[in-house]
Amino acid sequence: MATASPSVFLLMVNGQVESAQFPEYDDLYCKYCFVYGQDWAPTAGLEEGISQITSKSQDVRQALVWNFPIDVTFKSTNPYGWPQIVLSVYGPDMFGNDVVRGYGAVHVPFSPGRHKRTIPMFVPESTSKLQKFTSWFMGRRPEYTDPKVVAQGEGREAQPG
Amino acid sequence: MNPREEKVKIITEEFIENDEDADMGRQNKNSKVRRQPRKKQPPTAVPKEMVSEKSHLGNPQEPVQEEPKTRLLSMTVRRGPRSLPPIPSTSRTGFAEFSMRGRMREKLQAARSKAESALLQEIPTPRPRRLRSPSKKELETEFGTEPGKEVERTQQEVDSQSYSRVKFHDSARKIKPKPQDEEELLNGDDAEDLLLGLDHVADDFVAVRPADYESIHDRLQIEREMLFIPSRQTVPTYKKLPENVQPRFLEDEGLYTGVRPEVARTNQNIMENRLLMQDPERRWFGDDGRILALPNPIKPFPSRPPVLTQEQSIKAELETLYKKAVKYVHSSQHVIRSGDPPGNFQLDIDISGLIFTHHPCFSREHVLAAKLAQLYDQYLARHQRNKAKFLTDKLQALRNAVQTGLDPEKPHQSLDTIQKTINEYKSEIRQTRKFRDAEQEKDRTLLKTIIKVWKEMKSLREFQRFTNTPLKLVLRKEKADQKADEEAYEAEIQAEISELLEEHTEEYAQKMEEYRTSLHQWKARRKAQRAKKKKRKQAAEEHPGDEIAEPYPEEDLVKPSPPEPTDRAVIEQEVRERAAQSRRRPWEPTLVPELSLAGSVTPNDQCPRAEVWRREDVKKRSVYLKVLFNNKEVSRTVSRPLGADFRVHFGQIFNLQIVNWPESLTLQVYETIGHSNPTLLAEVFLPIPETTVVTGRAPTEEVEFSSNQHVTLDHEGVGSGVPFSFEADGSNQLTLMTSGKVSHSVAWAIGENGIPLIPPLSQQNIGFRSALKKADAISSIGTSGLTDMKKLAKWAAESKLDPNDPNNAPLMQLISVATSGESYVPDFFRLEQLQQEFNFVSDQELNRSKRFRLLHLRSQEVPEFRNYKQVPVYDREIMEKVFQDYEKRLRDRNVIETKEHIDTHRAIVAKYLQQVRESVINRFLIAKQYFLLADMIVEEEVPNISILGLSLFKLAEQKRPLRPRRKGRKKVTAQNLSDGDIKLLVNIVRAYDIPVRKPAVSKFQQLSRSSRMFSEKHAASPSTYSPTHNADYPLGQVLVRPFVEVSFQRTVCHTTTAEGPNPSWNEELELPFRAPNGDYSTASLQSVKDVVFINIFDEVLHEVLEDDRERGSGIHTRIERHWLGCVKIPFSTIYFQARIDGTFKIDIPPVLLGYSKEQNMILERGFDSVRSLSEGSYITLFITIEPQLVPGESIREKMSNMLKKFESQEDEKLLQATEKFQAECALKFPNRQCLTTVIDISGKTVFITRYLKPLNPPQELLNVYPNNLQATAELVARYVSLIPFLPDTVSFGGICDLWSTSDQFLDLLAGDEEEHAVLLCNYFLSLGKKAWLLMGNAIPEGPTAYVLTWEQGRYLIWNPCSGHFYGQFDTFCPLKNVGCLIGPDNIWFNIQRYDSPLRINFDVTRPKLWKSFFSRSLPYPGLSSVQPEELIYQRSDKAAAAELQDRIEKILKEKIMDWRPRHLTRWNRYCTSTLRHFLPLLEKSQGEDVEDDHRAELLKQLGDYRFSGFPLHMPYSEVKPLIDAVYSTGVHNIDVPNVEFALAVYIHPYPKNVLSVWIYVASLIRNR
Repeated sequence: MATASPSVFLLMVNGQVESAQFPEYDDLYCKYCFVYGQDWAPTAGLEEGISQITSKSQDVRQALVWNFPIDVTFKSTNPYGWPQIVLSVYGPDMFGNDVVRGYGAVHVPFSPGRHKRTIPMFVPESTSKLQKFTSWFMGRRPEYTDPKVVAQGEGREAQPG
Repeated sequence: MNPREEKVKIITEEFIENDEDADMGRQNKNSKVRRQPRKKQPPTAVPKEMVSEKSHLGNPQEPVQEEPKTRLLSMTVRRGPRSLPPIPSTSRTGFAEFSMRGRMREKLQAARSKAESALLQEIPTPRPRRLRSPSKKELETEFGTEPGKEVERTQQEVDSQSYSRVKFHDSARKIKPKPQDEEELLNGDDAEDLLLGLDHVADDFVAVRPADYESIHDRLQIEREMLFIPSRQTVPTYKKLPENVQPRFLEDEGLYTGVRPEVARTNQNIMENRLLMQDPERRWFGDDGRILALPNPIKPFPSRPPVLTQEQSIKAELETLYKKAVKYVHSSQHVIRSGDPPGNFQLDIDISGLIFTHHPCFSREHVLAAKLAQLYDQYLARHQRNKAKFLTDKLQALRNAVQTGLDPEKPHQSLDTIQKTINEYKSEIRQTRKFRDAEQEKDRTLLKTIIKVWKEMKSLREFQRFTNTPLKLVLRKEKADQKADEEAYEAEIQAEISELLEEHTEEYAQKMEEYRTSLHQWKARRKAQRAKKKKRKQAAEEHPGDEIAEPYPEEDLVKPSPPEPTDRAVIEQEVRERAAQSRRRPWEPTLVPELSLAGSVTPNDQCPRAEVWRREDVKKRSVYLKVLFNNKEVSRTVSRPLGADFRVHFGQIFNLQIVNWPESLTLQVYETIGHSNPTLLAEVFLPIPETTVVTGRAPTEEVEFSSNQHVTLDHEGVGSGVPFSFEADGSNQLTLMTSGKVSHSVAWAIGENGIPLIPPLSQQNIGFRSALKKADAISSIGTSGLTDMKKLAKWAAESKLDPNDPNNAPLMQLISVATSGESYVPDFFRLEQLQQEFNFVSDQELNRSKRFRLLHLRSQEVPEFRNYKQVPVYDREIMEKVFQDYEKRLRDRNVIETKEHIDTHRAIVAKYLQQVRESVINRFLIAKQYFLLADMIVEEEVPNISILGLSLFKLAEQKRPLRPRRKGRKKVTAQNLSDGDIKLLVNIVRAYDIPVRKPAVSKFQQLSRSSRMFSEKHAASPSTYSPTHNADYPLGQVLVRPFVEVSFQRTVCHTTTAEGPNPSWNEELELPFRAPNGDYSTASLQSVKDVVFINIFDEVLHEVLEDDRERGSGIHTRIERHWLGCVKIPFSTIYFQARIDGTFKIDIPPVLLGYSKEQNMILERGFDSVRSLSEGSYITLFITIEPQLVPGESIREKMSNMLKKFESQEDEKLLQATEKFQAECALKFPNRQCLTTVIDISGKTVFITRYLKPLNPPQELLNVYPNNLQATAELVARYVSLIPFLPDTVSFGGICDLWSTSDQFLDLLAGDEEEHAVLLCNYFLSLGKKAWLLMGNAIPEGPTAYVLTWEQGRYLIWNPCSGHFYGQFDTFCPLKNVGCLIGPDNIWFNIQRYDSPLRINFDVTRPKLWKSFFSRSLPYPGLSSVQPEELIYQRSDKAAAAELQDRIEKILKEKIMDWRPRHLTRWNRYCTSTLRHFLPLLEKSQGEDVEDDHRAELLKQLGDYRFSGFPLHMPYSEVKPLIDAVYSTGVHNIDVPNVEFALAVYIHPYPKNVLSVWIYVASLIRNR
């Protein structure tokens, strides 16, 4: 870097992955990681984490509560590439294979204060019915090569042919 | 205590406080004053009230003691009780309390805030309650409700007065602290009253008050005063505006005002009234007298998408509905109303007829007739316009204007302006006259031409004695009044003359002026000259020596001549001549031509034969038209015979039912002769009608067409496109093309209810243009819409569009453009029109800021900044040096830097390669970011039946098989890696045939002086190694103690030391890998240029004991390591191969002093017939990367797909065949390389065999061994191998493999295997060998190209990069499998079961073994070669080579000194010169069989030294590889104190600047 102590600003993220609503699934755990731009660097805390496995609550809410803490500090010189938290949720399928149940990403809030975010989760679909069946059968659902792609824009353009 | 009591108590206190307040002011007056307020303290205890009270108290009526019982009592009566003090007893207690507390609170007096009192004042309602009986209290509270009236007197006016006074005091009091207030009060008008009142009040009264009553009337009255009810009446505008201001309506002034929100009129009035009442300043009203209002903010559409509420509606929102795809047909309002099926629009095309203006069957007369008709049309058109007349009138008008302007009667304009306008007029007159003359002349010539043509026609008719056309021209004479005519003529001429004269005079005056000034100048100069002359004469007299004074430049001074005055006669002459030419003379009658068809055509029987034939030919012909809509034939007219007048009447109307807006409308004219096939004469493009053109209103239009067909006829017909002549001698030839006119009309049909069936304009390309609409009205509507502009403008005017509304801006622009007459259609497309809006700083600032620059460069992925992390926030934190490299590179882009390359040619080549690389990378940049599904998502493949079967089979498999299979490693995509994640694993297994120390070395330790003798012996008998070794062995001396050192990216690892010439280490070394810039993307990894160096050293122990006496007690040894050889493997190879496993030949220098090969191994391998060809040392290695990286294979595939799209000059069929061939081959043997097309250096796809063609090797090489073909071949191979190797994958970022032709290759002096192989193969072909290009896999290169030759019954495989060759059955041949063979005219794909060269048959004539590309079904088309006819070689430049040699030597010496920073480096010059002499010999013998002579020589000269060193040989590309090579040998590592070094460089130049570099490095240690 150019100087001994270049000016940076800090972004401290404190929070937790509270709970999830996956009406169909149970015994899920989640994994979080951060995606940030080139001008960002984590200075303290954990960039990634895997939570415990949680079961559905027995009440009507049927919530999957993790209360999994997030505590990380970034430093940066440029708001470009503001960190995004990427969550991926996994859980066992019918045959006990660990499969992915959802991916989702959201920007870390831009303003200080307490924020609550609800992230819609999604999973990639199989390319064909047959593959859907076999992937279900073999417990090898389609997954992203890297969960971080959900926070990136590359490769999303419509593909010709 | 009951609540009431408590209350009472509180009230008392309050009372006292109030009392006290009131009291303060009066304390200084008298004791009574002090008491009084306490007793009779009015409810509010406010001075104002007191004031009024007091005034009342002063009233005689006041002493009324009885409590009024009713509210109907008069004011005074009512007032009385109020002012009466409360019950004395209570007041006494109050007083007592007061006296006690009063003292206490006196101190707090100041602190008593005015706010408190003000509060009390302000709120009159909570009237201080007095302590009294509950019944009284009730009354009191009632009174308290009417605070305003307590002070009233009998008269309302008085009351109001006092009220206002009260108000005044009230407000004053609010502001001022209390004591002052009191004073003021005293100063007031009521001061006396107060005093009076005080006196009265002094008496204690017991007052009983009646309930207050207020009449409804009063109440209303009061309310009227208090309340304001805004009226609903419209407020007159003058009230809303400042005085004497007229309302101003911005809208009328043309400013945009926007639409005001809707508010009901009455509400508006109410608000206006209210505002007027509240705020008399009229701030709320605009200039137009209306309330200021922003434009209506409500938008018709919600701008925010519906927000998903958290829980319940997500599902509903995401739920998708399936709707069957419906073909889009535009539903128009009109059409739905008219009840037609949607999208049924109708275009009516009326084709009325066809007229040929020229036709091959035209006779000469017809040609003339057509010409005449055309001229006549022209005449009619001109006549109608009558421009000459118009211009004449204009001229007249202008002249009149000038006349009037000159009239002195009108002095209302300044003279200046008059003169100006007159001058303008005059110039205009001049202009107009010129135009008029031109027009008149044109008219006249046209008339003349018509007459001339008609005459020609008449003469032709006479000549041929028949008439073909009914045309007849009649010239009608219109006689005019000759006298008047003449007068007009003369007047005109006179006017013109006078004007001209005037002009001339003006000109003359101007010229005269010029003349005068120039004359003046001339005179002055002349005078000066004369003076000079005189002076010079004097000078000449004084110095008679230089009498030859140059002649004075008198010639230069031409005396200006005065201009000629104009002569009126001359002008008149001119004018008359011109008039005679262009104008009808007065005595001439006006001629009006009239063309009629009244003539008769000569019947057939009176015509000559040729003419009859022509007419018959015409009769045979018929014409029809095809109607093409959007280039599709929709209908055609009936075929009509061609009439004798070459007119065809169709009169057909075609109703085209269409769905879409038409794109084109074409008519094709077909002609049929007899029964032959119709021929297309011409195409006529009809304009698509405007939307306003509907059936019935459409005018018939004529569209011209012409054809370029050539027809020659054998009869009278003149033909088409053929020259013919009217003259007998054939001069003056004419060539006419078939042409004609179609008269037609195209219009939109009208539906049943009178609505035109027009597809809406919006249908045309609306999707594409809607985005642009806002920006550019013209481009949004399109040019076709432009034609309708007048209508649009009219519509806009009718609909009262606000021209200033921003929403209408595009439309207005459009209309203004249209109405201004010139339709300006921008012929450009502006990308990012809104860019300016988003520019947050100016471009200059952007460029100036270092931070922005850095960010910009990074986003452009400039290599230096691609992974720049944490761009600093402030400019000052960015060092200038950040940009230095980049700027340097930019600067150097075009500057050839010779420092690093030394050799200019190579420097240029390096630059060129860099540029090619950049362009290629740019080309593929897009494709790089093109992701495949597999890049993003990991998905199991669809299991086919075999996989399913296999997996089923697996179920039955043993859990722990006895012979487990190796499982593939998991591949890692390169994107989420970081430093330290990747390791390079090098497993060194064993080596064979390591050179062994010569016994001399080992013996040296025992008999130090014997070495020389020993080696001499060897030099004499080189064939007697083995006995010596055998003799040595028993001595138990170790032959060699080799170890391996692997260095990669500055990390060095080495194995333990093994023993013997065939060591086995079996050690795994782990080296970390760092990607450049920490960028682990595939593209970056592909371009890693680092090389893994595997060096083999011999570890030598030297005893360093000074004397033998200590031998018994201790051992002091020094370890020396002697470099034996190395293997270099580029990282890119490892990366692409994933693993490298095999035995490699060690690159051992041709001379290793002190070492020799152990020969007995060879004896054991006697079976190998060509063993001698590939002797050497070998090492077995296994190299891989952990974790396994996915090589950029997918990108390569994508590239190859992309590349197919690049243009190619190959035949389409050939390309298809190659694809088919490759597909077939890939199906059978997916792993075998099959190459049919490659990409040349300009990016085009080229068929591979075009690269092979016999090419001449340099003559120099051929001359060396004129009779030995094999030796020549080896020499040529060596020459080729000397051309530096540069892998495409590295230079082009793994993107693609470019093939350069051999001349390009020789010019670039760099290339990879293919180029080397192609060149070598071409040389072999030219030497007359049978040679093929062999595509296959080799170790360590991976997919590569070799050359296969057929020599005397055996096949030889040549490695073009090393120049080595191997027999087919050589086990050490690096080529491991063979994919295909390529010859100059065919490609053969290996379809044998095996692909190892050891096991296959190279006989390509056997179709069962080799599948050929060109076969009987697809014969070789004879493709021309892309190679040049001949290679031209420059002679090698010996001087340059010598210079380079010196420079390299110097650089290397400096480097070695640099590498030994802690030691002194001595150079042994004597040794160096010896070595230098020796190197050329090595080159000559190619490093073979010289070792022993060499050794002998050296030892002879340097007998006293222990010597270790070796020559290195390599092709020359740059200096850096040479330095690296020297470094890797580790010669400099010797740290014996008295070591000396020797270094010699020799460069042998080959033709075409191919350089062979020899570096001899040696270290010498003097023996004592």
